Amino acid sequence: MTEKKKKKTKIWYPHTSENLFSMSGAKGKKYAKKMRNQPSSVTFPSTDFGQNSGGSSSQDRTQRGNGDPQYQWQGGVSGGFQQQRGHWSQPPGPSHQGQFRGGVRGQRGRGDWQGGQLGHRTHQGYQRHSQELPKFITASYFAQARAAEVNAMLKAVKNKNANSQVFQALPKHMRRRAMSHNIKRLPRRLQTIAKKEADKTSQQKKEVSKTKSRKARRRHGNLLLEFNRRQRKNLWLETHIWHAKRFHMVKKWGYCLGDKPTAKCYRACYRAMTKHCLLQDLSYQCCLELRGAEDDLLKALARVTSTDMGATFAAVACLSGKRQGSLVLYRADHYPQEPLGQVTFIWKPKKVPSEERQLWIWTHPTSKQDLLSELLSVCQCSEPIEPRAPIPGPATSSWKVEQKAEAELLGRKRKRNDKEGEEAVALKKIIGDGTRPPNQPVSWRSETTGIVISDLTMEILRYRLIGPLSHCVLADAFKPASDCKESDDVTEGPCPWWLKHCKDADNLSIHHRQKDTFQLLKGVGSPAEIPAGTVLGLTVDDPRLNLPNKRSQSMPDPSQLQDLQKIRQLTLSGVAAECAWSSIWDQAVRDNVTENKIPEKELNHMKSELLVPGSHLSLGPKDSRIPILLVQQPGKQTGEELSGWGSGWDVLVPKGWGMAFWIPFIYRGARAGGLQEGLKHSQNKGAAHFPHDFPDCPAGMRFAKEQENELADKFKRRPPAKRPNYIKHGSIAPFCCPWQQLAEEWEIIVKDSGEEQPAALKGRERPLSAVQGCEEDLLKSAESPSKLRLGLQLEGIEVDAGVSVTESKKACAEGIAGFRVLRSRNVLRQLSVWCRPTSGKGQRGQRLVPSFQQELTPESAVSISAANPISLVWARLTLLKKGSPALHAMISIPTAEDFEQLSKDPVYCGPQEPKHRDHFKHKIKQIKKSKKKKKSPAEETSEGSKTSSPDGGVCSDLTLGLWPEPLPSVTSHCSRVTIGFVTQGDFSLAVGCGEALGFVSLTGLLHVLSRQPADRRGLVLMRNAASLQYRFAKLRIEV
Amino acid sequence: MADGGVTLAQHREIDQAEFTLRKRLPRKLPQRRNDVYINMKTDFRAQLARCQRLLEGGEFNEICIHGLGLAINRAINIALQLQGNGLGALRLAPNTSTVELVDDLDPETDQGEPVSRTRNNSAIHIKVFRGPPVEGRTPSPPSLPPSPPSLLPRKPRRVCDGFAL
Repeated sequence: MTEKKKKKTKIWYPHTSENLFSMSGAKGKKYAKKMRNQPSSVTFPSTDFGQNSGGSSSQDRTQRGNGDPQYQWQGGVSGGFQQQRGHWSQPPGPSHQGQFRGGVRGQRGRGDWQGGQLGHRTHQGYQRHSQELPKFITASYFAQARAAEVNAMLKAVKNKNANSQVFQALPKHMRRRAMSHNIKRLPRRLQTIAKKEADKTSQQKKEVSKTKSRKARRRHGNLLLEFNRRQRKNLWLETHIWHAKRFHMVKKWGYCLGDKPTAKCYRACYRAMTKHCLLQDLSYQCCLELRGAEDDLLKALARVTSTDMGATFAAVACLSGKRQGSLVLYRADHYPQEPLGQVTFIWKPKKVPSEERQLWIWTHPTSKQDLLSELLSVCQCSEPIEPRAPIPGPATSSWKVEQKAEAELLGRKRKRNDKEGEEAVALKKIIGDGTRPPNQPVSWRSETTGIVISDLTMEILRYRLIGPLSHCVLADAFKPASDCKESDDVTEGPCPWWLKHCKDADNLSIHHRQKDTFQLLKGVGSPAEIPAGTVLGLTVDDPRLNLPNKRSQSMPDPSQLQDLQKIRQLTLSGVAAECAWSSIWDQAVRDNVTENKIPEKELNHMKSELLVPGSHLSLGPKDSRIPILLVQQPGKQTGEELSGWGSGWDVLVPKGWGMAFWIPFIYRGARAGGLQEGLKHSQNKGAAHFPHDFPDCPAGMRFAKEQENELADKFKRRPPAKRPNYIKHGSIAPFCCPWQQLAEEWEIIVKDSGEEQPAALKGRERPLSAVQGCEEDLLKSAESPSKLRLGLQLEGIEVDAGVSVTESKKACAEGIAGFRVLRSRNVLRQLSVWCRPTSGKGQRGQRLVPSFQQELTPESAVSISAANPISLVWARLTLLKKGSPALHAMISIPTAEDFEQLSKDPVYCGPQEPKHRDHFKHKIKQIKKSKKKKKSPAEETSEGSKTSSPDGGVCSDLTLGLWPEPLPSVTSHCSRVTIGFVTQGDFSLAVGCGEALGFVSLTGLLHVLSRQPADRRGLVLMRNAASLQYRFAKLRIEV
Repeated sequence: MADGGVTLAQHREIDQAEFTLRKRLPRKLPQRRNDVYINMKTDFRAQLARCQRLLEGGEFNEICIHGLGLAINRAINIALQLQGNGLGALRLAPNTSTVELVDDLDPETDQGEPVSRTRNNSAIHIKVFRGPPVEGRTPSPPSLPPSPPSLLPRKPRRVCDGFAL
């Protein structure tokens, strides 16, 4: 029984000591499980072995001398570990000696060697014996010992371990296909055991599978039940099922949303946006309704906005209801600090001068709670209005029924009795917000001003059509509602509201005007030709009725000539204020329309009964009329090129009609996009995307945190050799942007450099050498805080320098950012002019610097940065040559040599960052080693002292390739000084080069601009986190 | 003029600090495959090659070259180059027109009303077609080239920032 043989017959022998040692945790566990039924020791009853075997060898005597009477077979798991550790920590030399000087060692060994290691000795002893054969063997004892081993083996063979089937114990060559379910394929001797096993498992299976058959599960009622259960946690949009079949779904913000299509359609979606129409379901966006007197509302809302950012809620065009507005809201009276989120808003147009005004604020679900609570406090709305108890039927009633049905289903068989069947018929689809408990208040009233705020989440659906032909799709899909004649009054149609509505002559005339305007839209080339944010109300027929037979692309028809003069009028002045009015503003009408929708089933039934199959079904007066609202979305408004790119229409539809409106759009050739496409749209448009580009909002901070965790997890999942070492690349924060630290460091740098050489800041036309010198100073001054911080970190004290960081972290935890994002229009416009080079090719129009703009001088720069401390500016970057920026790329300042190289060499891409050294790699290795060593009890004490050494705290969460917290200086870590980071970056198909959106430190930017030569102004370097190559990019601030 | 348009004198009064000027792109019209819109952003040779390819492809006997504003010069240049390369087989029929462009003035304050104003820019439409060579240098072919099929005035489709809008 040599060592070799043991390894070979691993099935019943435990692993040899080496194998055990190298086993990882999971493997070890598995092994332990396998060995559960194995005999742990092989014994044979003999107490006086020691005396009797005296003559066998000196080795044997040593063992017996250890006082353990049992002949231990190396087998127990724990025993095994014990043994090998003891063995390995002992160098092999002495053990050999021990064999020779048996007696002496035996005496000593009693103290420090446990019985467990005996076995090992034993086979070493055998090895010796095999070499020099023993002189004699006592037959009886030898046989006894062998008998015990044989017994153990037999036992091990009989008790196969619990997890495997019989046929799995068979050697490979005896296995047959389908052995698991056809017992007769097994060898006959195993068939009985296998049968027993099969019976057992089939019983178990039966217990588990209480689920119904697929057919039963897919039955309508059961399916609905299942769907309702599944959308209790995360809300489903009405188009969920449609999306779930075609999209990668993600659970985000309490909704189930389509992330991106499963088809490969990145470019196809881009083409749809530029040439045809991309459709997006934005129903997850939340609508808050404010009702009250105009003055009260404006007074209250003025506190959360600022005129510094441009027009507010009170803008004339928006207030009349003609246009949609867009704003960033702040915490009340906190203007430059604590923004809450980006919103769009629409006022309901006035019909009567002294009317109660109604305002819809549309916001992203992540910022809804913040906004709602702030609006409630601003408007002093503290009194919740009880929701009308049983009427808003569908959601609540279905809720109850569903719960009851579910309770009954628990202990019930598949077959339904009649009573249950009836209840199942009453089961309804959840329309609207299904997660909300039915008696939670959704509206609040103010006692003093009478303002009512209600939460209309999921009450109104919002579809976005992007692309130049989006109104072709609209015009094809919608048919403006036909009027009700007096004669129809008798028959009770499904839409009583329309009858009432049509009785008023004013309403009718408005409807006709809206109809005419809508018809005119067909003659307009693209939505960008209509004033931005135009609102058009409309009442349409059921769009399911004029569905084409086949899916086709709707195209403009040039043969249908429109009145050119009228179109011109429309494009110039937009839609008249009266035409913006729609019945969708009326809660009663919305509910009515939702309830009286003809179900798909009935409609199909009616269609099937048509005399000519496939002909148009006209319901006449029974047809439903749906009030909708069309809102124009301006495309790219900022910047000089591609203006109007990505413009389109938003369609607001009352709830319940989701699929009825979605399918007609799809049938008109609109391509559906998900969240990713929406992100790309806003990126190409150069617009800030919520919550990605709002790092100072609580929602934005939460988003950044989530993103960081996600990216870090993804990074750590890869094997260390297959992932970039960010430390070597000099990227401090590849997964998040340390905005706070960046802004603060720049404040310190500028303060320091300003004190040191105020003379250096002379003017803008400075020779290159001076610029270069300045850059060096900059690097030096940038290093100083970093050194400070690093030094402290190395000493392990982290007192003062860490304070700001920890403070900012605390603030972050509370949801308040320590920095600001500059949103003042005047300052932004000023900066935007300064960022452009004053001369150079293709820079026409730059001469026309408006009179109100200041010249860029160090003084003006200082005054601006002093007025906006610790601020970031949102900027757009276009790469000059090659390269595609990625998320969290660094934006840095080029040195004078870089500019020189660029002017000399036309194909010069940019400088390279020298490779950094990874100081932590060594540490990580040390920790790994010490962890391994810790297993030996002898070294544990010394290890303990090591981990308590100063760098022990830092080492706690080291990952290879990532900087541990706290970060060193962000600005001066690399060879070029960093001024900002990229939040979105990609190769832009619209422009044909890499484009990025990101934030730069305001102080840093002004510092750079005032030092750059006039013709190179706004030129920066950009470097991806996983690359050493810097690339030149043009920085623009667009307002 | 429509009430959306404001006279030039009024514009001068509009304070730049209170409004942001946004220029809209010219109207986009349906485009045939032999319409070439010249811009100032694409390389000149590429645009010339494109016209050449269209003519030599055999699919079309005539192409229309459109230029707006600053691109008028380039459109003329391209047309003449085409004719020069065409060994006398090509003839040109230029037409000029005026394109109405719209500028939006977005208010920066709550009191301002958004205004849209129109302004005009010149455009050229050159028809390059195969025809019998004309003797001497006398232009005016006996029959004028047929006007474009669309009744709408022809206007350039796409303008990039090189255009003087």
